[in-house]
Amino acid sequence: MRPFLIKDFKIMLRDRSELVALLLMPFIIMGILGTALSGVMEGDTSSIDIQLAVVEEDAQQEGIAAFQEQVRNSGVPPEAEEELAAAAEHMNPARLLNNMLEDPELSEMIHVQTMEQSDAQAAVRAGDVDAVLTFPEHFTEDTLNAMLMNNGNGSELELLVSDEGSINTTIMEDLLAGFTDNLNAESAIAAAGAGGEEAASIEIGGTETLSQNEPVSAMQYYSIGMAVMFVLYVAGTIASKAFVEKQQQVYNRIILSGTKTWKYLAGKIISTAVIAFVQLTILFILSALVFRTFELTSFSFWIGMLGISAVLAVCVGCIGGLLTSLSIRTESDTASGVFTGVIVTLFAFAGGSFFPLDGMPAFISAFGSWTPNGAAMNAYIRWVQGFGWSELAWPIMQISLVSIAAAIISFLVFPRRRSVSS
Amino acid sequence: MLEVENVSKSFKGRNVVEGMNLYLEKGESIGLLGPNGAGKSTTISIISSLIKPSSGDVKLNGSSVIKKPAAIRKVIGIVPQDIALYEELSAYENLLFFGQMYGMSKAGLAAKIQEVCRLVGLEDRQKDIVKTYSGGMKRRVNIAAALLHDPEILIMDEPTVGIDPQSRSYILEMIRNLNIERGMTVLYTSHYMEEVERLCDRVYIMDHGKVISSGTKEELKNILSAEETIYIDFDRVYPAMYDELQHHQDILRASETENGLKLIVPKGSRLLSRVFQITERHKAQVTNVNVSVPSLEDVFLHLTGRKLRD
Repeated sequence: MRPFLIKDFKIMLRDRSELVALLLMPFIIMGILGTALSGVMEGDTSSIDIQLAVVEEDAQQEGIAAFQEQVRNSGVPPEAEEELAAAAEHMNPARLLNNMLEDPELSEMIHVQTMEQSDAQAAVRAGDVDAVLTFPEHFTEDTLNAMLMNNGNGSELELLVSDEGSINTTIMEDLLAGFTDNLNAESAIAAAGAGGEEAASIEIGGTETLSQNEPVSAMQYYSIGMAVMFVLYVAGTIASKAFVEKQQQVYNRIILSGTKTWKYLAGKIISTAVIAFVQLTILFILSALVFRTFELTSFSFWIGMLGISAVLAVCVGCIGGLLTSLSIRTESDTASGVFTGVIVTLFAFAGGSFFPLDGMPAFISAFGSWTPNGAAMNAYIRWVQGFGWSELAWPIMQISLVSIAAAIISFLVFPRRRSVSS
Repeated sequence: MLEVENVSKSFKGRNVVEGMNLYLEKGESIGLLGPNGAGKSTTISIISSLIKPSSGDVKLNGSSVIKKPAAIRKVIGIVPQDIALYEELSAYENLLFFGQMYGMSKAGLAAKIQEVCRLVGLEDRQKDIVKTYSGGMKRRVNIAAALLHDPEILIMDEPTVGIDPQSRSYILEMIRNLNIERGMTVLYTSHYMEEVERLCDRVYIMDHGKVISSGTKEELKNILSAEETIYIDFDRVYPAMYDELQHHQDILRASETENGLKLIVPKGSRLLSRVFQITERHKAQVTNVNVSVPSLEDVFLHLTGRKLRD
């Protein structure tokens, strides 16, 4: 196998156009995408500046006192009366909304000014503020009555916007919709008597944290995305070179030397895998050095990255073997052409190399997770986020299953002996 | 040593080789002569076990090559028509790779590479990348790769196509030496008549997938023993005289050459004096006359009615 590996390596190294396609191109693209989309990927809110005028027509404390008075007069047992009174203090909707707007993250985007109704109307007309949020009269009392006593229709916040459909007003509308949804959920829990402790534990307006792990930066995402995409091209390149070997009778010369066909195919698989592994390693190291994407000095981190790369590289090797088999069998380079021209792009799209698949239909995500690049991307991202090895087991299993399937098919498809050449 | 027994091969219903019979004795140099598309390359692929024939058998020392291809693969060196080399590697790297494919030991291989490089005259440029070579140099490396494992039979498929006269002469001389001095058995295919005449003891002439004639060069030329060829050059073209000669009842065939006419006449017909009478009548100035024995080209023309490179 060593002669095949050395030969293929030398050929690849001396082909400048291949080096550009396999190393320079993904490196440039990861730089461009990582830089251009960092704002979107990392939730950069520095460009969002919403001026919000708040008009307080509601008297919160008076509203709470009025609600507690109504509870006392309603004839509920003393224990329930105490609980409802406490809940009214805790779930004061106007205070909760104000707290949300004062949250440090939101306050970077939304600048709140308290105004009188007339001033606020003038300001929104003049374009000095983007929106006016009005707490109407009896807002607290009516809302608590509806929430906790199921009494009345509640109250409605009023949002007056200067530019319907603009990004700023859409953000405000979404924010308020989210707030009311959460409030409704919390009140439903409280009203159902699900337990004051649980209800109290739900934070409204905060940032929901899905995991304790580090978020992935755009540069990290696209370094991985482009590396797992461009590594697939190695398979196509090796297969197209195998086709040239067949065309120029080099393959015949190898077979006439007594070399078994399975050795030739195994040589191609190993060469592809090793070249793919080197390509991935160079791209990640370059990305770490130039873009500061990954911590260079963390030994355990790089062991994980290299481990995932090795699994992916073997898979690429097996795909290279499959494409080689098809090229030799059909005496045509159509298979490698279709792979590099169409399938790699499809895999990259479905596997999430271009953008995260969160909003995509489920079948695309499911398909993408079974593509070698998609599964590898899952594994790399989990590793970068700090997940343990056990969390990588499934994507690595997926890559391994694809590798085994590709290897078996490639050996079945490869012509055994005496292929036709005239 | 090697026998091709009634071998036929068809691709997609078209007979490429039909009822081929051929034998090769140890130390012989055999020519397989025929125009492009005659079936020479397919025959070579069948002999070397790369293609399975539709019918017939190929035997090496009495054993079927079709059933056990490994035996022939050890003893043949194939020089394909294409340059079967890695253009991005040097000659040395190519030879090293192919030697390793033959399972040659590292030390033995290094010495062998130097030997074959010396043989093909590329000692000084063996470390250069093949794609920087001229066509003739590439052809020489192509031959060197077939000689690495000391084959008993060297099978060459048009090894001089598209190269300069010097390289061609060098290669032909080298093959002659391998055959005569080293006793290597050679099967040489070409559509260049003069190469086969120069190199080969026996010749098989192929056309449309069939052997149309075979034998030693002399045996083949004896097919035309009843004829001789007269070349007459003139100072200029004389259309009326040409027409008269081409239609002369005693002249078998007449064709125009670069400087005059080529006449095929019955041997011993003493026609020359009558030809001169005609030229005098037309006041034609004769610049050269040559009476020659037939060549293999003439034999091919006689057998097929067309020239080799038509």
